[in-house]
Amino acid sequence: MKYFGLELLKLRKKTRSWLGPILVFWLIMIAYPLTIEFSPENLEIGFFSVLWIAILLSMMFATEDIFTEDYNDGSLEQTLINDIPFVYQVVLKVMIHWLLIGIPISLLSFIFSLGTNGNLSLSLLILPFAMMSSYIFLNLFVLGNALSLNKGSVLGAIITLPMALPVLIVLGKSITAIQLEINYSGFIFLLLGSLSIIIVTVPIVVSYIIKAHLE
Amino acid sequence: MFEFAFNSLGEAIYMNGHGIYVWSVVVLVLISLLSFFIGYNLKIKKFKKKFNESN
Amino acid sequence: MIKKFIHQFASPKTYLFQVERVYKFILYFSLVVYFVSLIWGLLFTQEDFVQGNSFRIIYLHVPASFLSQSLYVSMAVASFVYIVWRVKLAAYLVISIAPIGALTTFIALTSGSIWGIPTWGTWWQWDARITSTLILFIMYLGLISLHSSFANYEKADKLLSWLAIVGAINVPIIKKSVDWWSTLHQSASITLTDKPSIDPSMLYPLIGSMIGFFGITICLVIISSKYQIFIREKNKSWIKEYV
Repeated sequence: MKYFGLELLKLRKKTRSWLGPILVFWLIMIAYPLTIEFSPENLEIGFFSVLWIAILLSMMFATEDIFTEDYNDGSLEQTLINDIPFVYQVVLKVMIHWLLIGIPISLLSFIFSLGTNGNLSLSLLILPFAMMSSYIFLNLFVLGNALSLNKGSVLGAIITLPMALPVLIVLGKSITAIQLEINYSGFIFLLLGSLSIIIVTVPIVVSYIIKAHLE
Repeated sequence: MFEFAFNSLGEAIYMNGHGIYVWSVVVLVLISLLSFFIGYNLKIKKFKKKFNESN
Repeated sequence: MIKKFIHQFASPKTYLFQVERVYKFILYFSLVVYFVSLIWGLLFTQEDFVQGNSFRIIYLHVPASFLSQSLYVSMAVASFVYIVWRVKLAAYLVISIAPIGALTTFIALTSGSIWGIPTWGTWWQWDARITSTLILFIMYLGLISLHSSFANYEKADKLLSWLAIVGAINVPIIKKSVDWWSTLHQSASITLTDKPSIDPSMLYPLIGSMIGFFGITICLVIISSKYQIFIREKNKSWIKEYV
């Protein structure tokens, strides 16, 4: 618990790291209507795909320096010999990033969705999807950034983006299901299931990878 | 099963207009395989030369 | 026991000497098989009723697309061996397979899109299998760029192996999800379980070209791994005798 507070403080102090991704998300969502011929119908067509891609990109920026600074100042080596197993520390790190970045972005996507199509029930449904997908994306990009530690986040993005594509497909399908008023609960369970697998496996793999870096 | 599918060699190259696609794929595959073979053999040769010079 | 066995017989030195012995044989055999079945397929089979002569691209396209996935699997197996038993040879194999895999995927992609022009009337379709092949190609490139960005070979090997394993778990997921997203491609002509859906006169050259292409790729892997062993083990004493 003490460690949780410490990590939270660490991220909160670095305003750039948590505010930056939210602002990037915001700017993409503003940029989208500017690129098309303005009319409400036009806006609605591509809105959700832009929304998911914006979430994906902002999560990419969110994890950009999740390990880099700790690696450079040597505190990553110390955390390896901490009393708390390193796996839990990775889980905590991801959770804190999700709390500070993922949740605000999910709320923002609710607001943007409401503003674009004015459909309250649809926009409320966006909320759980955005929350779950942002957590999955965070985990995946943490994996990529652990692999490309200290070599920049572009490399991490290249190697983990293919893994995020199935999630994007599920998101797209679920939006279609919601709009056509087909039973969409299966999609929520699918995302929940993959999330529960990813939450367990990714930190384990990440801890092995970080150990390989520090050897 | 083993009879020649075309009346003449020209027809075999033309293939009712599909020849350009078929033969371009053939050329592409052969060139890419060959370039890899040559590339690796050159690399090995270069390495051996350098290695023998340094020793 | 297994560990001892692997460490004795999978030393780069024995591998290199053993492989050198079979290399020529595999190369000539597979070249002959490949060219015979290509000529047979391209010139001596009857025209397909639906697709006309453009179906002949199948003899070049299918082997490549088949191998593009198998190479990824073999890479993942080698990575697993490296991570669990710390066999150096496996790590060399992983990085030597990666460019070859990228090459076969590239061949599958381009030959497929050229095939698409006469049959579908377009060279690119956002179809399930093409898209997943494209993703696979990008994954290969990602693997190569990950390995090349670390100067420390041992570190690069470990990271590459982890990525290859994670990627191999992901490949079927990506394939399934992309399938689910959309499909237009003709289904696979040869599967291991069902009876093949194409005529035997087309099937035999296809099988021949697959065997030949497989052998050629094995030869490519052998020479690329040879190069890899050379640059990694250049400080070992046995290399001097060998070179």
